[in-house]
Amino acid sequence: MTAAPRPALGGTGSPGAGDGAPAAPLPRVLWRALTLSARRTAGDAGQLALNAAFYVLVTTVLAQLWKAAAASLGGEIVGYTAVALVWYIAATEMAVNSIPIHLIPEIGDDITTRRIEVELLRPTSVMAVRVAHTVGRVLPRLALLTVIGVPLAWALGGAPPRPITLLLLLPSLVLAMTLNVVLQHAFAALSFWFGEAKSGWFLFQKLVFVGGGMLLPLEVLPQGVAGVARYLPFAAVAYAPGRLSSGHVEPWWLAVQAGWLVVVGGLTAALFTGGLAHMQRQGA
Amino acid sequence: MGTAIRTSGLGRRFTTGPRRGRRTIDAVADLSFEVDRGERLAFIGPNGAGKSTSIKMLTGILHPTSGTATVLGLVPWQDRTALTRRIGALFGQRAQLWPELPPRPAFDLLGTVYGLTDDACARRQGELGELLDATDLFDQPVGTMSLGQRMRCELAACMLHEPELLFLDEPTIGLDLLGKQLFRSLLVRLNAELGTTVFLTSHDVADIEQVADRAIVVNHGGIVHDAEVDDMRRLLLATKRIEVLVGAAADPTAVGAPALTTTEPFGLGTTLRPAEDEARVVIDVDTRVRPVDDVLQTVLASDLAVADLSVLDPPLEEVISTIYTSEGP
Repeated sequence: MTAAPRPALGGTGSPGAGDGAPAAPLPRVLWRALTLSARRTAGDAGQLALNAAFYVLVTTVLAQLWKAAAASLGGEIVGYTAVALVWYIAATEMAVNSIPIHLIPEIGDDITTRRIEVELLRPTSVMAVRVAHTVGRVLPRLALLTVIGVPLAWALGGAPPRPITLLLLLPSLVLAMTLNVVLQHAFAALSFWFGEAKSGWFLFQKLVFVGGGMLLPLEVLPQGVAGVARYLPFAAVAYAPGRLSSGHVEPWWLAVQAGWLVVVGGLTAALFTGGLAHMQRQGA
Repeated sequence: MGTAIRTSGLGRRFTTGPRRGRRTIDAVADLSFEVDRGERLAFIGPNGAGKSTSIKMLTGILHPTSGTATVLGLVPWQDRTALTRRIGALFGQRAQLWPELPPRPAFDLLGTVYGLTDDACARRQGELGELLDATDLFDQPVGTMSLGQRMRCELAACMLHEPELLFLDEPTIGLDLLGKQLFRSLLVRLNAELGTTVFLTSHDVADIEQVADRAIVVNHGGIVHDAEVDDMRRLLLATKRIEVLVGAAADPTAVGAPALTTTEPFGLGTTLRPAEDEARVVIDVDTRVRPVDDVLQTVLASDLAVADLSVLDPPLEEVISTIYTSEGP
């Protein structure tokens, strides 16, 4: 039996973290996780190019559709001109297309196969680190789509209705993307109890596509539905940046997005805490 | 010295199946043992024996349904966060490094998670690189490494915060022979130089022989044998198996192995085992009676047309079967 003393590695006298090193501040951990993942995405030129190509294709097709629809209805739909509709679509597609489409199934798979349990072996928040990794993974994509999207919208529709709103668009896109990532973690966390994430993913897609205003401004929906949709977090994910980029100077949307981020962040943290505890109790 | 792990009646019952016809499975039942600090323990058993479930309970990621346990003085499922700062864990089939990136940025993140300063983390990477002979690998994308190289980097990742106790769940699975040997020697070196307690699960007999100084054999969720490896080697691991491929490669006219007697086909200490096909001869050697190299000489000098030859450990299932036979279930 070996019972050697525990010198520091290499005899340097460096203290082991287990010997009472202070806990790392969570923001520092999250920043490291975010930048590491951003580096991974930025290094994957092929995936970025594919993402950009898909964005250009979808935005171009939808912009042409909305322009044709506006033209057939006298140049305006529910208060949006053809130009405003093009900028609206360009912004909502930036916000939503920057997120990996299979994010919920990916997280759900980690949960149902229990790959996630090794993350419990680290002295930090599983959910917060996962969100930071995903935001880092998405940021380079969002930056790329924004750089492509603004000139694309300009080329397809013309100058933005009110250029000043582009200043609001940037923080709104970051908030929309972050909220979207956190929301998807919340939907995926349900698989701790239901054992699958595909249904939640299907539901989330529909809620963002229509109820969130990704494909069409909420004003196009029946009044009652639009009224409800406006007060749901999905509107903060897509409709908010769309609304701002289409010439509406409504900076309070940023506060709405930040508010939803706090609420949904708390809910998601609670779901992960409960879900991980459930997994620890229930086992396989 | 002190105790690193102490369990008493530890058990984990799972309920499976649909609501009607539900059944319960005792993955681990009444597990009681102690591990001293600085010890190298092999926790072995066949698939489904309860090894991984035990490791999960001891690391705090699974709650037991009965019994108690303390690891480094902490109850794992109650003090999980505090415990994670003092243990390292390596799961052979679950990577924690990203294939697209070199290990170094992942180490930086892990160092931050464990509260190391940037300087301390960099210093630790230098020390581990030297100890594990992996410094050059730390700047190479993980995806371009062999499995053996990757496992050395994974080991560095879980040693970054200098844990007092290292849990390794099937760490040599999938490694080639040289990779396994190197990995085993690294574990022994980590234990010798840093005093890290090693808790290793495996179903590879060679892992026990080359890494551990004590082995606990589990099957059907319970302990069936607990002994020093030296004692175990004398009693249970004294068998080596020689597989001889005969015929075509050595002599195209030969159709298969010649008839051999079942008992002592190559002299004292040898037993003939049933083979998968007639071109194969399988001989068990009792190394307490006769050294394996002596039997090899006899085989090579015999009339057998040897095309290929390998010396193997008996499968763990057979070792456990021997334990059952000698001690009863």
